[in-house]
Amino acid sequence: MQATPRRPIAPRVLRGALLFCFSALFVLYVAGPVAWLVSSSLQSEAQITAVPPNWLPPLASLANFEAIFTAADRQVTYENRRQGDAATGGFLPSGAANLLPSLWNSLTVGIWVAVLNLLLSVTAAYAIAVIDFRGRRATLYTVLATRVVPDIALVVPLFLVIRNLGLINSLGALVVTYLAITVPFTIFILISYFEGIPRDLYRAARIDGCGHWGALRHVYLPLSLPALVAALTFAFLTSWNEFVFALVLTQNVQAQTLPIVISGFIMDFTTSFSFVNAAGVIAIIPPVLMAVVFQRYIVSGLTAGAVKG
Amino acid sequence: MLAALNRRFGYDERSAALLVFPVVAVLLVVAAFPILYSFWVSLHDIVLTRPLRRPFVGFDNYLRVFDDERFWVAVARTTVYTVVTVAVTTLLAVLVALLLNENFPGNRLLQALLLVPWATPSVVNGLMWKWIYDPTYGLLNAVLLKLGLIERYRVWLGDPDLTLLLIANAAIWKQMPLAALLIIVTMKAIPDDLYRAAKVDGAGVVQRFVHVTSPALRPGLMLVLVYETMISIRHFDLFLIMTQGGPGDASFTLSWLIYVETFRSLRFGTGAAMSYILATTTFVLSWAVIRFLGKRL
Amino acid sequence: MARIICEQLTKRYGTTVAVDALDLTIAHGEFMVLLGPSGCGKTTTLNMIAGLEEISGGRLSFDETDVTFTPPHKREVAMVFQSYALYPNKTVRENIAFPLRLRGTPHAEIERAVEAAAAQLEIAHLLHRRPQELSGGQRQRVALGRAIVRQPSVFLMDEPLSNLDATLRLSMRSLIKRLHHGLRATFVYVTHDQAEAMTLADRIAVMRGGLIQQLDTPDAVYSHPANTFVASFLGSPPINLIEGAAESGGSFARGAFCVPMAVAVEAGRALTLGLRPEDVSAPGPGLTTIEARVELVSPLGSETHLEVLAPGDVPLTLRVPKEWRAQEGEVIAFGIDPARLHVFDRATEVRL
Repeated sequence: MQATPRRPIAPRVLRGALLFCFSALFVLYVAGPVAWLVSSSLQSEAQITAVPPNWLPPLASLANFEAIFTAADRQVTYENRRQGDAATGGFLPSGAANLLPSLWNSLTVGIWVAVLNLLLSVTAAYAIAVIDFRGRRATLYTVLATRVVPDIALVVPLFLVIRNLGLINSLGALVVTYLAITVPFTIFILISYFEGIPRDLYRAARIDGCGHWGALRHVYLPLSLPALVAALTFAFLTSWNEFVFALVLTQNVQAQTLPIVISGFIMDFTTSFSFVNAAGVIAIIPPVLMAVVFQRYIVSGLTAGAVKG
Repeated sequence: MLAALNRRFGYDERSAALLVFPVVAVLLVVAAFPILYSFWVSLHDIVLTRPLRRPFVGFDNYLRVFDDERFWVAVARTTVYTVVTVAVTTLLAVLVALLLNENFPGNRLLQALLLVPWATPSVVNGLMWKWIYDPTYGLLNAVLLKLGLIERYRVWLGDPDLTLLLIANAAIWKQMPLAALLIIVTMKAIPDDLYRAAKVDGAGVVQRFVHVTSPALRPGLMLVLVYETMISIRHFDLFLIMTQGGPGDASFTLSWLIYVETFRSLRFGTGAAMSYILATTTFVLSWAVIRFLGKRL
Repeated sequence: MARIICEQLTKRYGTTVAVDALDLTIAHGEFMVLLGPSGCGKTTTLNMIAGLEEISGGRLSFDETDVTFTPPHKREVAMVFQSYALYPNKTVRENIAFPLRLRGTPHAEIERAVEAAAAQLEIAHLLHRRPQELSGGQRQRVALGRAIVRQPSVFLMDEPLSNLDATLRLSMRSLIKRLHHGLRATFVYVTHDQAEAMTLADRIAVMRGGLIQQLDTPDAVYSHPANTFVASFLGSPPINLIEGAAESGGSFARGAFCVPMAVAVEAGRALTLGLRPEDVSAPGPGLTTIEARVELVSPLGSETHLEVLAPGDVPLTLRVPKEWRAQEGEVIAFGIDPARLHVFDRATEVRL
């Protein structure tokens, strides 16, 4: 009996080296800019304006974050504006106090949108995927077609309607608007996933005595966890990141969401860079956390769809 | 006869109507109505500075748009931007998918990192890259100077030749993960047997990619191309944060034109017409991509 | 109590007709088998009886009640699937209990019924497991348990044994037969396996192209097939079909192959002759003797299959007792009883 020949070493080492190289490049590309954002947020204004720049914060400090969280307690005037960083004159924008409230707004809206989205999409996706009803194709295409027109085009008419209803600055109006823009994609994800569930399970449930609600509850929902997570994440993320509608539909500081407030800082020339970066870090934490934690579910949730093309 | 009635009002039909109603209701109010209203606006001469006079002008607004030379500049800018963004995003996505599809320790960690750019809000994305491109303190300047590729700091976003590409870079960074994900998912569906057969036939790594992987990726790539095109063509957030259409008209895309026309010049009629032109173009483009590239790839 | 009456039952998909004006009455407590090749409409018919497919035309009744438009969850039928269709997120116990739970049956009664069903099917030791942990045979038993626990009057089965391996199939077949005797319910069973049909059915409906070719007891369908399709579908190895013509004098001839027929047919009529492989014996009085050359010998242990070439270049497959020694290339003689021949009109394929 011959001994099994060993696989040659050279190609294995080569593969390992290549994988390592590309992995390193990948990590650098994907995480690099964010790492720089975080690093900048931990530096003081003096450190951040150094040339050449400090890669790592020489003395990592949470001073910028502290400034954000205490901004509400302070009234920023022309005189004490420089108190952000006394040593080199870091400037706090006058809107600094709005950051935390807008964070809560974004969080509230995001959660409402995610939850309501699921309620709406799951039922509709079930009906379209499972029930052969008249107008099934038409409904699906219409739902998907609402996303063809760019948001910019919808902003003005929507603004007029909402203003006439007296709902400007209402977070509820924002939630409903975001529902409309997220639902088509989540329905698409859910339909693809539902179609991957064996039809015989549905048949068995119907025979056993389930109506449509029963089939949804006992068969489709329990088996769709990845898709539900993917849909939830997508809805929350889109809502959290959304900019244009929030810009137009919320005009006072109580109602504004995080992206709007941050964009205000960026436009303000006198804002200190370290502060803006800190605000950016705060804005980035919830969505990134969600994406990383749920990543595996998101991948499985999208699987059924992409395979069918 | 009875069968037809059942089809209309039977248990299935009633259930479906009930299940679909909430979604349809929301979409009707928030999406359908504005879409139709917007179209109606595009057929009238509506300028907010004189809100009481809104004569019906048929397709005049559309003609006026085609006559506006800013429109054609915007078309040029948008085309360049979209082509670059979609092409590079797709290319990077395929490379990343190839990497992540391999089995090696730490693969899971890399996959977890993949979604970080996708999760980043576009505002933060714009802010991040603007900071990197900063003329005085930015990272890009520092790195390039250190590598000896430039002699002194440059105002990157102020360079009309580079603006579109720099913004595209930010967009690509954010969009690549989702595209890569879609391709990875398609790749995972390729049966192992095909690769084994190819190896037995003597195919090397490159040949396996060309003959097994590429053909199987077609539907996934199709989806990615269409989706990316639809998204890129209407990008707005980054332009607002980073360059506001400038310098000059270097980053004056269609979305920016619509914004300027609607919210700064307050000419709602023509603004709406522009939107509809953009929407139709997107639709036709997507259809064209599916039709023609679908056969060749 | 549970008579199933199909009147002109039709299923259309667009322009294709899958089931064509089917008339079928299944008696209470009968074991009816729908037999046919894939695509013949048997599963579609079953699904219409279950309510899983919408009925395009005709009428369906259970006893006196018209159920044509009743949704499946209101029809009180039980069904067993080829893929078992067990809920993966529930235990075996929960799977079996599910239909009773949906009806709001009191807890104690559910427990009793589940235990009884599990005992009857010998799966009591598996109640706490999940379907993924079970073998195919065990899963099918759980599926049966889920069906019998409701004590339904109608039992539908869609090729339940097709996914099982051969030996398992035999034991499950007898299990199903015993269940039928015990439950005294109406069974409608779909299969493409003619052996299953023969052993289980009270009556067989042989289907093809959406139409019933023959509806009768297994014996009748086997011994007196209505057309060549039914004849060739039942019986293993399949019936030998020889194309030829009637001759004056009451014989069937194809070239040099000539045998007398028991049926009177006018001379010159184009015919197809059917000879079952087992309907041959040693040459003897009253039998027509045929000499043929043995081409292939396939010993099966209990019997032997011979592929022979009869005069007129007619290939035949024969089933002979294992004592017959024959070798390839040898010429053997065997006898055919004309009464056991099946004669069909060549064009219409109908039995004469």
